Amino acid sequence: MKIPSAARVLQAACALALVAIALMIWSLFDPRPAPIVLAMSVGQILGTLSLVAFLGVVVADLRRARFEAARGDSPSPPSP
Amino acid sequence: MTSHVSLLTSFALVCAAAAAAILITYLVRRPPLRDGATRVWLLLGLGVFPIGVAFSGNIEGYEATKSRAFCGSCHVMGAHAADSNDAESRSLASRHGRNRLFGGESCYACHADYGMYGTIVTKIGGLRHVWLYYTQYKDVPLEEAKKTIHLVEPYSNATCMECHSTRLDLWRKVPDHASSLDDVRAGRVSCASAGCHGFAHPFTKPSSGEKR
Repeated sequence: MKIPSAARVLQAACALALVAIALMIWSLFDPRPAPIVLAMSVGQILGTLSLVAFLGVVVADLRRARFEAARGDSPSPPSP
Repeated sequence: MTSHVSLLTSFALVCAAAAAAILITYLVRRPPLRDGATRVWLLLGLGVFPIGVAFSGNIEGYEATKSRAFCGSCHVMGAHAADSNDAESRSLASRHGRNRLFGGESCYACHADYGMYGTIVTKIGGLRHVWLYYTQYKDVPLEEAKKTIHLVEPYSNATCMECHSTRLDLWRKVPDHASSLDDVRAGRVSCASAGCHGFAHPFTKPSSGEKR
């Protein structure tokens, strides 16, 4: 299975976060059962996923930078 | 249902606008992640500001779900809401709905679990009712539902006693109260039973002599 690049993951995380925020704001201005349930379930799951994806990318990037520093390699081109 | 822009809503809007600006800027410009500033901006846009939106949105959402209008906005609650809104009704639900201190939230006041996590526990319990509705009662006509739908568990007198403590002299001077004090406190006699102060929603109960 092909692992998506860090840039792709971050773009997806940004898109998910925008959807999550939109759901949460919708529930504030339209406090009916469906918008509130959606905001508190789907909205929060998407928001959490986007944050976890971002942290995962940052941790992977830091580990790679440390690994490269330990090997004394010249730094690889910065990830986008 | 009307809504107003409270301080929390304003806070959520500011956080949402800040997060959206950061995220859209990132999606358009796509700066390198190894740039420390990019990480900090993304942490704000994907973490700090969305958490601010979720925090304030949750509080506002929970508050909105406490209103009688919210409870009545679900179609299965139509008859209950109509009775509560009926100024002429003598039902327990309607009389509590007319209370100017908490009438706007009378459904929640009587059906909530109290305590530190009252709102959250109540709403999680409410999701159980949503599940039961969609899995068992969704296609049941209202007239049939009035006779077949039962409470998940008996209504607790402890909820009534949050306001009616049973400790005031005025309350205990009522002969029926005095004679049933121990039973009421122990939950053996329901405050909302027929013959006492119930039924709270009498139109959902079978007429006398009819079996449930």
